[in-house]
Amino acid sequence: MVSDIKSIMSSTNSEKPAYRKLKGYAFDPSLSLLIETVDINKIIYKIPWEEPKEDSSNPMSRNGPLRPGPIGEYIEVIDFDPTIKKFYTPVDLNDPYLLATDGFDPSESNPQFHQQMVYAVAMTTIKNFEKALGRKILWAPRLLDDPNEYERYVPRLRIYPHAFRDANAYYSPLKKALLFGYFASTPMNSAISMPGSLVFTCLSHDIIAHEMTHAILDGLHRNYIRPTNPDVLAFHEAFADIVALFQHFTFPEVLKHQIAKTRGDLSKQNLLGELAVQFGTAIGRYGSLRDAIGKIKDGVWVPQKPDPSDYRNTLEPHDRGSILVAAIFEGFLSIYKSRIADLLRIATGGSGILPEGDIHPDLVTRLANEASKTAKHVLSMCIRAIDFCPPVDITFGDYLRALITADFDLVSDDSHYYRLAFIDAFRRRGIYPDGIRTLSEDSLRHRINLKALNTNTNDMISVISKFLEKYRTEVMNVTDRHAIYKISRSFIGGSSNTKGLHKSLSEKFDNSFEFEKLTGLIFNSDFQQDKKGYTKDKPISYQVLNLRLVSRVGPDGNQTNQIIFSMVQRVGVIYQNGEIKEYYKPARSRDNSTDSAYEKSDKKATKNRFEVVGGCTLIFDLDTLNLKYAISKPLLNAAQLDKRKRELNMDRVRKQFEYQTEVLPASMSEFNLYFEEAFDGHFGEPFALLHKH
Amino acid sequence: MPAAAEITKVVVHMYKMGTGDCFVLKFHDGNKILFKILIDCGCWSGSKAELIPYIEKLKDDVKGHVNVLIVTHEHKDHVYGFEAGSEIFLEHIAVDQIWMGWTEEDSDPEVKRWKEKYAERTMAIAKAAQEVRNRLDSPGYVSQYKDSQFKDEIFQLHTHFKDVLGEFADLHASDTVKPGLKGMTVVKEDIAKNNIQYFKPGTIMKDIEGLPGVKIFVLGPPLLYDTVRTESGGPGESYDHNKDIDADELLLGALNFHENGNMDEKIFPFDSTYEVSDKDRLKIVETAYKSEEWRGIDFDWLMSSGSLALRMNSLTNNLSLALAFQFPEERKVMLFPGDAEFGSWSSWHDIEWEDEDETIDTKDLLNQTVFYKVAHHLSHNGTAQSLGLKLMTHKDLAAMATLDYSIISSGWKSTMPNRLIIKDLLAQTKGRLMIMNTDNLFYDLDDQIPLAKKIEDSRKKMKAADHKKFLDSLDNSDEHFMEYVVKIK
Repeated sequence: MVSDIKSIMSSTNSEKPAYRKLKGYAFDPSLSLLIETVDINKIIYKIPWEEPKEDSSNPMSRNGPLRPGPIGEYIEVIDFDPTIKKFYTPVDLNDPYLLATDGFDPSESNPQFHQQMVYAVAMTTIKNFEKALGRKILWAPRLLDDPNEYERYVPRLRIYPHAFRDANAYYSPLKKALLFGYFASTPMNSAISMPGSLVFTCLSHDIIAHEMTHAILDGLHRNYIRPTNPDVLAFHEAFADIVALFQHFTFPEVLKHQIAKTRGDLSKQNLLGELAVQFGTAIGRYGSLRDAIGKIKDGVWVPQKPDPSDYRNTLEPHDRGSILVAAIFEGFLSIYKSRIADLLRIATGGSGILPEGDIHPDLVTRLANEASKTAKHVLSMCIRAIDFCPPVDITFGDYLRALITADFDLVSDDSHYYRLAFIDAFRRRGIYPDGIRTLSEDSLRHRINLKALNTNTNDMISVISKFLEKYRTEVMNVTDRHAIYKISRSFIGGSSNTKGLHKSLSEKFDNSFEFEKLTGLIFNSDFQQDKKGYTKDKPISYQVLNLRLVSRVGPDGNQTNQIIFSMVQRVGVIYQNGEIKEYYKPARSRDNSTDSAYEKSDKKATKNRFEVVGGCTLIFDLDTLNLKYAISKPLLNAAQLDKRKRELNMDRVRKQFEYQTEVLPASMSEFNLYFEEAFDGHFGEPFALLHKH
Repeated sequence: MPAAAEITKVVVHMYKMGTGDCFVLKFHDGNKILFKILIDCGCWSGSKAELIPYIEKLKDDVKGHVNVLIVTHEHKDHVYGFEAGSEIFLEHIAVDQIWMGWTEEDSDPEVKRWKEKYAERTMAIAKAAQEVRNRLDSPGYVSQYKDSQFKDEIFQLHTHFKDVLGEFADLHASDTVKPGLKGMTVVKEDIAKNNIQYFKPGTIMKDIEGLPGVKIFVLGPPLLYDTVRTESGGPGESYDHNKDIDADELLLGALNFHENGNMDEKIFPFDSTYEVSDKDRLKIVETAYKSEEWRGIDFDWLMSSGSLALRMNSLTNNLSLALAFQFPEERKVMLFPGDAEFGSWSSWHDIEWEDEDETIDTKDLLNQTVFYKVAHHLSHNGTAQSLGLKLMTHKDLAAMATLDYSIISSGWKSTMPNRLIIKDLLAQTKGRLMIMNTDNLFYDLDDQIPLAKKIEDSRKKMKAADHKKFLDSLDNSDEHFMEYVVKIK
């Protein structure tokens, strides 16, 4: 009998749900205490459905099971509080009662809700990234001290919702984990937080999204935790904030409430700016990133007037990052305004002035939807641009070029003037990419003139393209993230029967001045080698990173198929009085042989030793089998290459040296000054320190 | 009738025990010494045997008697000498009066209540340092990072953290069970015998016997606890800036819990029903946590104690008794700010001085400063910029700084000396900057220009007569102290 029922049950036609719905705070708990915001503070997060357990009826299903924790395919929430050595019961989101009620109700006093909240926002952020990037995201691998295994795949990001007692939260590149703190509040506005009440950073949408973005960005560009110019760490912060901010704007429920307050002259309405700042204040110290957007004066939001000297003079990473956040936000506002111009004309009979009283709820809905749609577009644009950035040493100018190139690549017709809006916003802040004096779409877009390259180079590029095509065939239908990782690694590093990309490139292009000019990197096995016959350690560390297949569909239905990978090189130099005195082998080169014990030597002797970094992102078009973009931060001096001479780009050497020895130490926090000697993102918890005040 | 007594010069002796303050001031009328003051007696570290020769010397220097002993604040580098040399102080140096900041008046109930909280926090640093030591010694710590490419760096980093935290603990307390420093106890209980005067900002002392014509302005410690807590201001206001978030209570609870297992209800954020208590289930969650050792977070939360240590350090520095000795007729001031940081410096400007003889504000005092004891050993937060050093515009300004790289806390080296302050000091004093020990100090980041040479070069730019005058006033021949004579008349 029992088995009969089972078979009947299993033959029902119910389909796997597309989403799992989970209740959560839209902002953070403090807004639930304010009467005017209590209604909008609770929303339902719709996140991708993860199967409760291995689906035995479908052995092909690669979706990881969702276990109590929640522990799923991408993340594992471990609720251990080391300050009091307690474990909290992990939430089981597949509990039938919780399934029926969309999870626990938002509550500060229930740690299981905390676990649910971090899971919901983390998965929402992952979903947004995967949608924009057109592929699965991978976490940065763990770097091992093992000659046979340099790095190891990390399937899940770990999240500790209650990791320490401090007003801080951070992503740890070392542990591939998010650590959230909690603290006793000392509020500015005692009406919002009750004195002495606990504040949990893991309950704020913006903080979770911000920290998640750090983790995802580290997986995409693991060298962005290496500060080589003032923009690098600032970019990490700004990008994390941009994602948090626009992800917030994609929830129309949150926007409607604000838009319904619209009165009077519509051309002057600044409600979204006001809302952005409100998000900022609700999350306390993260607000500094939003300060550059504008200030609320007498209850009205006034946009901050951009000042080009800020970009020249502001060096603290958060303050500097806020300049980028403000530029993107201004772009967003102009796009939104142009998108709703027609609606406003309809609503006001062309006058632009609303009649007195509440505005029509349909208009509220339409405006909110437009804002949400614009936010989605801007968010996707900002995320997509990441693929078009150089792998090291990023500047805000590089990011602008990436934004424009990535968007042009997918949407060649800029009918809504998205690209113009951003170019204008960057110009007003004095953010110019290196070597570009006038900002226009044409000058900013990356491109390659393949015809200018000789046949030999073109031939070799097609060999690489064909090799990459094989990669596509192998990886195309694979959805398991670990399998994707393994395939990509073997195409980079090679296997018993194939030569990998790493070796192919260095062999094929050895001594190719043209390819060196294209990438700015050194492809010369004799570079700085001793001429006298005995071998010296090669002073270059060379890595191929982040090989990935990208398939995207544009708004016109056009599809792009591209393969992207990055190359990073480090050269050890002893730099004195503006000159390179000597070269040395950088620490932890991939092909580790005998490394000198330089880390152990005294500080003084190492002062002028440093590693110059350069890198290049190559983007191949699979439809034409050609190299489409080479986005480079060069090590070599291009003018000298034309004369068939290899010389480091001394301007870049100087800038990196000066930044690392003078500017960076001066912009370090008090905590860093006393407790830290280095500022290396690989072990020094850079984000913990950045967020500390 | 003999001419009325007057102060013609002040002889300053800076004792060279190591990074830390110990100053003897001798107020002269011609060759006759009218008044002797000892300000602090401390240094960062050193055995009793190493310190005794200096204190013996000091005893002879003051001929076994000082009119006033000033203890600016309770940090080891300002009071350790009283502990190491307690016998000499008790038996061979007579002290007429002791001056301290109002925050040392333990009999005041308000101060007492506050001090208890303060003591709890200073002790928490010691507890945290102990916990960090335990953690680093545990086998779990070593195995956590054993596979990482960065294990050496991580270990180095954490060891450095352990050392610096331990030093911050030592700076505030002599042992781990009782709050406070022994040197301070020696002063308060043994030397003073209830003979301490406490001062609040805004006080002007004058007509002190032995100090004819001298006025002493009390600048700090500030009255407001808020100000005491502000370490530094925004850009342009000080040489760096920092914010203060007070979330100590929770951290303190956790540290107590780790020290003695004390389960205070208050320190638990959630109802116990949410905790995993069932043995079998605990095993499951523990396994999930420990399965990947390298991701463990047993150590990381202790990093918060570093912020606590920094806050306590700044706070204590701001409790410094800061004094300006003014010679009104000559319009000259000698400034002894202890280790006051920005919060204290900025509060000085809010003081409304009530002086019957003339209207004066703090800016005037800074303008008249001819001798400045550099606060906090040339660190970035020890000297206010626009509210401090930039206002010291007197042409005769000279400065003494108690920095010695051979005896210093390892965490201090990154902030001392601050290059910008050195640069400003050299400009304002025209090279009349005297540092306890310039060995291993460099002006530039490449360690190419020795600081001593840079100071020499700056002095050479003085007018020949001024240069000579300065060199005549300076005497560094004694191995125990450096002498500088401040000419008043």
